[in-house]
Amino acid sequence: MIEIVPPAFIYIVGALLLALVRERRLRAFLQLFIPVVAFVDLLAMPEGTYWIYQFLGHELILGRVDKLSLCFGYVFVIMSFLGMVYALHVRDTGQHMAAFFYVGSTLGVTFAGDLFSLFAFWEIMAVTSVFLIWYQRDTAALEAGFRYIMVHIFGGCALLAGIIIHVVETGSTEFGLIGYGGLASQFMLLGFIINAAVPPFHAWLSDAYPEATVTGSVFLTAFTTKSAVYVLLRTFPGVELLVWLGAIMAVYGVVYAVLENDIRRLLAYHIISQVGYMVCGVGLGSYLAMNGSTAHAFCHILYKALLFMGVGAVIYVTGRRKLTELQGRNLYKQMPICLSLYMIGGFSISAVPLFNGFVSKTMVVAASGELHRPVIHLLLHLASIGTFLHTGLKLPYGTWFGRAPKGETVDEIEAHEPPLNMLIAMGMAAFLCIFTGVYPRVLYNLLPYPVDFQPYTPDKVIAMMQLLLLTAAAFWIYIDKLGGEATVSVDTDWFYRKPGLLLLWICVHPLQNLRLALQKSLAGKVAGVTSLSRNPILLPEIALKYLHLKAVKGLYRISGPSEERTEALRNLESRITELRSMSYDENLYRRPIGLGVLVAIILLFLYGLIYYLWLR
Amino acid sequence: MKRIWKYALIISIGVSMVIGLFFRPEHPHFWWEKIPIFDAVFGFLGCIVIVLGSKALGHRWLQKDEDYYRD
Repeated sequence: MIEIVPPAFIYIVGALLLALVRERRLRAFLQLFIPVVAFVDLLAMPEGTYWIYQFLGHELILGRVDKLSLCFGYVFVIMSFLGMVYALHVRDTGQHMAAFFYVGSTLGVTFAGDLFSLFAFWEIMAVTSVFLIWYQRDTAALEAGFRYIMVHIFGGCALLAGIIIHVVETGSTEFGLIGYGGLASQFMLLGFIINAAVPPFHAWLSDAYPEATVTGSVFLTAFTTKSAVYVLLRTFPGVELLVWLGAIMAVYGVVYAVLENDIRRLLAYHIISQVGYMVCGVGLGSYLAMNGSTAHAFCHILYKALLFMGVGAVIYVTGRRKLTELQGRNLYKQMPICLSLYMIGGFSISAVPLFNGFVSKTMVVAASGELHRPVIHLLLHLASIGTFLHTGLKLPYGTWFGRAPKGETVDEIEAHEPPLNMLIAMGMAAFLCIFTGVYPRVLYNLLPYPVDFQPYTPDKVIAMMQLLLLTAAAFWIYIDKLGGEATVSVDTDWFYRKPGLLLLWICVHPLQNLRLALQKSLAGKVAGVTSLSRNPILLPEIALKYLHLKAVKGLYRISGPSEERTEALRNLESRITELRSMSYDENLYRRPIGLGVLVAIILLFLYGLIYYLWLR
Repeated sequence: MKRIWKYALIISIGVSMVIGLFFRPEHPHFWWEKIPIFDAVFGFLGCIVIVLGSKALGHRWLQKDEDYYRD
């Protein structure tokens, strides 16, 4: 009999164990063993609600297990295994620990049954994932990481505000259907869509993910946005706002991907685009749409990890991350296996039939058709075109083949296939992409609602093939226009980056000058007071002399100056200066001991008097 | 090598269009689903719109120097 524990704890304990292990082989074994333990744990978890703890009069539920949470749980655990295989060669134990904490907290979110434990795991997720960015150890990563964590803390605060209002209003901490309407739901929705990277709150994703470590970014692609889709499916199904946000988001990511030069940032924009389908599915709210969102999250995690692994391998081998630095170097000759595996991911995200994107994306698109939403339907179709154009054609062409612009000298790059563990991880991800594409039933059986959907009908396959083939034709026409351009694109992060710089400037220049001026004027006053405290016993005398001086000065001003008067004034002033410069000398002020006794007796007498007259 | 790909693309486009004439959706939800080769036309025009539209947006407003945030 297996004793089941919350899967989040397996990863958190695993992360702590990793810290204790010094031996490399043992560490590698642990890295792979912990996801396996978690997977077995998941298989043994029965559906139901358990692991309930009392906390401040509320219930913390760590095990709300149903088909929806299990489906996300499976893919998160599978992904953590793939990611760990990919990262096996990395000697930085801290990175692996951060990854395990991150995965663990995501599983905590997935199986949370109440809003408080949801919030706790939600915050751990943000705080641990940022280390996957910071471990890149350069300035860009440090800065992007700070922006990332600040956006997520803002989102977390919004969520907490929403939760508190919700609990006060309804008295219930249950993490279930909330529905749109009222302040509580608006705050919670804001917190969720920040993590789902819905425009205009998406810029943290395309800003930070490309700055993460090669292996860390593979983890990042999978968990934050998809766990947000999961909580949206739980709390806000059928919200009309999400339909439009999702469809716009799907196209938005595509537009920016056209302009992008950094290969991982290009893929990051396609995460936004793909999550758009899921958010749209949540908003459409029919069984088919919600199944589609879940299925698409499942498939997306696999193929997007594969894509990030592929370009990560290029960055790992060549140290270059921009199309302008890679095009025309013909890397396909040196890394053909990597390219082929990447292309499987590229076909999957583009929804080519027999790859897994086709069996999940068509569900959401079909749902928009069934619900008669023409504009949404066309927007999603348009995003499909852009997806294939970039991840399936432009990016691989520019990275592994490509033509450098005329007149530009092309330097040779020393390249080779990435380490074996990276290739194995990519191979496994590619296998899963094709497997779920060819046998969609396996995936459909995991979905929360019964599936009555057949992706492989001749008309659907043909329509998709026409769409993709003609996209390829158009790509061929514009092939030279689509090369990388050495630019960055301003996105909504402009609204906190540029004003942030302005704020910094205000602090460094005007505020700093104000501080200096204040300090200068105050320092004089402070110095005067300090000089007085040098000899406090003389203070009364100095004060008396000072008053005398002022009085004399005032009188002289009335009666008019004369030779001797100024002389007297000068004497008075020099006397004050002399007094002030005298330092305290204890021998000068020694008094007989009897004086002290007398003072004590007087005080005692006064005390007695006060006590007897008033206080008794 | 390149020429082979080009011919392969053209031939598969042709084949997919011809097959597409015979397999139509059983329950079309929108009027355009009744038009044969609609998806091909939409794919071609959509791709051009995305490329030109995004590039225009980018060149006019969005694209900046690489050290835009660094000064």
